[in-house]
Amino acid sequence: MTALSAGAPVAAPTRADIVRRQRLKKIALIVALVLGAGFPALPILWMLSSSFKTNGEIFEYPPRIITENFSFDAYQAILTDPEKLRFFFNSYFIAGSVTVLTLIVAVLAAYAFSRFQFPGKRIINVMVISVQAVPPITLLIPYFGLVVALGLYNTYPGLILTYMVFTLPYAIIMMTGYFNTLPKELDEAVKVDGGRPFTALWRVLVPVSVPGMVSVGVYTFMIAWNEYLFALTLTRTNDMRTVPIGIQLLMGQHAYEWNQMMAMSVLGSIPVLVLFLFFQRYFIGGMAAGAVKA
Amino acid sequence: MSNGARNPNRWLAFSASIAVVALTAACSSGGTTASPDTGTGDGGSDGDVVLEFAQWWEPELPDGVLRGLMDEFEAENPGITVELLSGPYASTKEQVVAGAASGTMSDVVGLDGAWVSDFVQQGAIADLSALMDDAGYDQTQLASQVQLDGSTYMVPVVNFAYMLFSNDAMLADAGVDVPSTRSEFADAAAALTSGNTTGWILPLSLEAPNGIQNDVMSWVWASGGSMLDNGQPDVTNDDVKSAVEFIVDLDSAGVIAPGAATLKEQDKVEEFTNGRVGMMISSLAHINTIRESNPDLEFTISALPAADGYSGERGTPYASWGIGVAENSEHKAEAWKLIDFLMSESSNAQLADAANAFPGNTTARPEFVDNDPIFQEAFDVWQAGYPANEFVGLPVAEQLMRDFSEQLQRVLAGEISVDEALENAQAAWTDEF
Amino acid sequence: MTATLTPEVEAADRQPTPPSSRVRLRRLWDRLTPFGFLSPTLILLIILMVTPIAMVVGYSLMDRVITAPESNFVGFENYVEVLTDPVFATAVKNTIYFAGVSVVAHFVLGMGFALMLNSPILSHRLKAVFRTIYILPWLFTIAIVAVLWRMLLSPNGIVNYLVTTFGFTESSVEWLSDPNLALHAVTFINIWSGYPFFMISLLAGLQGIPRDLYEAARIDRAGPIKQFLHVTLPQLKPIVISMALLDFIWTTQQFALIWMTTGGGPINRTEMVSTYTYKLAFATYDFSVASAAAVIVLVLSMVLAFFYVRHQKSRD
Repeated sequence: MTALSAGAPVAAPTRADIVRRQRLKKIALIVALVLGAGFPALPILWMLSSSFKTNGEIFEYPPRIITENFSFDAYQAILTDPEKLRFFFNSYFIAGSVTVLTLIVAVLAAYAFSRFQFPGKRIINVMVISVQAVPPITLLIPYFGLVVALGLYNTYPGLILTYMVFTLPYAIIMMTGYFNTLPKELDEAVKVDGGRPFTALWRVLVPVSVPGMVSVGVYTFMIAWNEYLFALTLTRTNDMRTVPIGIQLLMGQHAYEWNQMMAMSVLGSIPVLVLFLFFQRYFIGGMAAGAVKA
Repeated sequence: MSNGARNPNRWLAFSASIAVVALTAACSSGGTTASPDTGTGDGGSDGDVVLEFAQWWEPELPDGVLRGLMDEFEAENPGITVELLSGPYASTKEQVVAGAASGTMSDVVGLDGAWVSDFVQQGAIADLSALMDDAGYDQTQLASQVQLDGSTYMVPVVNFAYMLFSNDAMLADAGVDVPSTRSEFADAAAALTSGNTTGWILPLSLEAPNGIQNDVMSWVWASGGSMLDNGQPDVTNDDVKSAVEFIVDLDSAGVIAPGAATLKEQDKVEEFTNGRVGMMISSLAHINTIRESNPDLEFTISALPAADGYSGERGTPYASWGIGVAENSEHKAEAWKLIDFLMSESSNAQLADAANAFPGNTTARPEFVDNDPIFQEAFDVWQAGYPANEFVGLPVAEQLMRDFSEQLQRVLAGEISVDEALENAQAAWTDEF
Repeated sequence: MTATLTPEVEAADRQPTPPSSRVRLRRLWDRLTPFGFLSPTLILLIILMVTPIAMVVGYSLMDRVITAPESNFVGFENYVEVLTDPVFATAVKNTIYFAGVSVVAHFVLGMGFALMLNSPILSHRLKAVFRTIYILPWLFTIAIVAVLWRMLLSPNGIVNYLVTTFGFTESSVEWLSDPNLALHAVTFINIWSGYPFFMISLLAGLQGIPRDLYEAARIDRAGPIKQFLHVTLPQLKPIVISMALLDFIWTTQQFALIWMTTGGGPINRTEMVSTYTYKLAFATYDFSVASAAAVIVLVLSMVLAFFYVRHQKSRD
């Protein structure tokens, strides 16, 4: 920490001055972070608080932050229902598979885009970017027909491949970007040593791109985790369905099960949060020193 | 960059041919009567039939009720098994459209009266009249049928009547009685409005525009009026105009709860349940929701107020859980058996009981009608009036409601007059017909 | 699979020896290598994305597809219908506002939060806690985001309780149903739900900026603002541009959020291209016209993508 300010020779401040300014800076930053945290966190806290209320209490006015009849009923209702637990399993299984497969496929493609010149590159690039621009709702019917024809209706592969198609463009673009920031000399060195392009990719580029891969992976996971429309259309039975549909099933024709909806969202987010906590060290680690140049 | 064009071309040609194969495969499945992908289905020995029954009812009913009925049906009809496919209500329609387009529609489907015309147009649902004839079915036991061009396409299984709910305590505090005419209603609404509470609530959300059916046109029907003339739109007539003007007056009097433009049916109930709204027009299905959320709330159910001086029969708006058979089903006869079973006196009464709805079978009498004074009252109102829902069977019914809702929103925002709004709505409706 | 396609290539083009058949073969493999790497992507995208898109393009040139047994080729009639519909113009305008403001706000918030979370002053553990809090909105499916905000912003919701209690307004505000506020309100919700994604990507990008660039800037006596403008921003520029483009494209498609909060209303103040197409497809069953609207969106995005790719090329 002190090493940082040592580089700034400002009118020779005393050591005490530096320490004090550092501390002030730190406090200001923490205050700013706490205040800023209200933006994402307050609505979520409200959701959390609602999940412990009864359905009627949620709409009381003036609103109550902490409920009087604190109850875990909503959570119990969800955790004891095997059908709902299955939704959770499906969501994790599908989102996990999509993440792994998307990363593999995207890394291969990004390598081609970043390290090779080939005819049709620009066209393929434009295609990759713009296929995601078609409003999915209009694709629904032809897509559905296609999935049925391929025999993927109401199967895990059907959903996994669908989400891969949704997430690949972004994953490719971002991975290409990350590879582009890595100097070509890195993989050239491998090739000079007689390695194949694949070796260069696997041994050199992939290890240094872990932070980029993690952020792409997190994105991929979230898309697959949160998608609703196709998850519903491409499945037929509840044993293939995912959490967003489980939540929607609680939004009835005449009334919503508000507390259960909120509880299910909270429950769904916790494992993702844990996953994020685990992976986020890659954001801090930073890339190998000196490996990066724009 | 340009010198290697040949090789990739070959590759592209290859991949293009894959795409073409996929394309033709997809197209061919589109129009044909491909059998529903029942998976475990048709594999059974000696002619076992698996019926798929897609609906949104199962999650709405108490756990196990619908499955229990299906078990009963299976016991009565050896060789037929029913697979219940349940989806969220809000997405049911898209799923049916997509299913019909790809030939994967379930054999038996839950329907809303507002969708029937569209599905018939798409050729998605089968003519039930023919099925009834084949089965020699006695149609007199059906309280109603939804017909297009003389053929039945949907049978209402249970009906949810919409009536006026009033909060007893709030009415007593304001010193008013349950209103029975429009002017009484306006007075009561004004008396109920103060500070944080309002007299009435009007949901006009464009996402689920059925507020137009239940909370706006219901005023027209309650006074014996109609929004149609010989099956054609007629929203500029005096019946509709006076109802809309009545609503606009309520709004200018400030007795309608704020936020109408985005409120949905569910919001309406929550506001009423929490005592912020004195009166609402709502489905009897909400009686239990209200009791669960706020057991202390005392409320009265009555017929919708009619125009002052009107003494004829009052139309009671309703929504149904309807049922139909997929045109591409290979087991239509078995599908009809299932409908027959659901419409039979005892199972229809059971279903109505569980859903707090009125039975679609004329002789079925659900227990709640006898056990619960509130339902008893409601049942009397239901039988004194006539069921009214002119949106049932209209083409793109939901869009008609949305068109109308948009115009009404513009009136309430002060952009246009009632006359202009009705003319615009009339034009939009005529366009859709 | 791809690796086996490529025999030991040792600088084949460095040897101007007369092309033997072996060398020619090797060159062929060289040229095919990138396609080998691309093949899984291309197969997936062509079968599962290009095919349905081609079908949608086909629909857009026919009448009464899907809902009627037979349909006829009608040329560009559907396009004319869409382009002359004043509601479509409104939808495009709203979409541009919605997406434009969202992207800018996502960038500003994402950058601000990422910089704070990247500060070396704080301990790792503290940063980890804040990082986790800051990504929260991202963890929830859009349906929940929509109902949560409907609840928060309802006339009797907590937000109105706070603004009236603290005296910002006299009476409660109809955030989502006031024709003048609705578009801003849904945009705000979208900003809330979408910024973490920008933030995460920028955070990852910040890790990649070499320390010595900052050292050099400090030696030049550049203050924090100058460092940001002359080091951080240029270094992140490729990421920011890619993200902004993608975010813009995605935001234009945001359907569930709009649909579940306002349904495109009040009147048509929050009508977006996505809700417009949805209504065409599933409320009026005009799949042909809906397809035409979708193709128009596709073409517009392709133009955008084209400029983006060209920009990238020129950067190389």
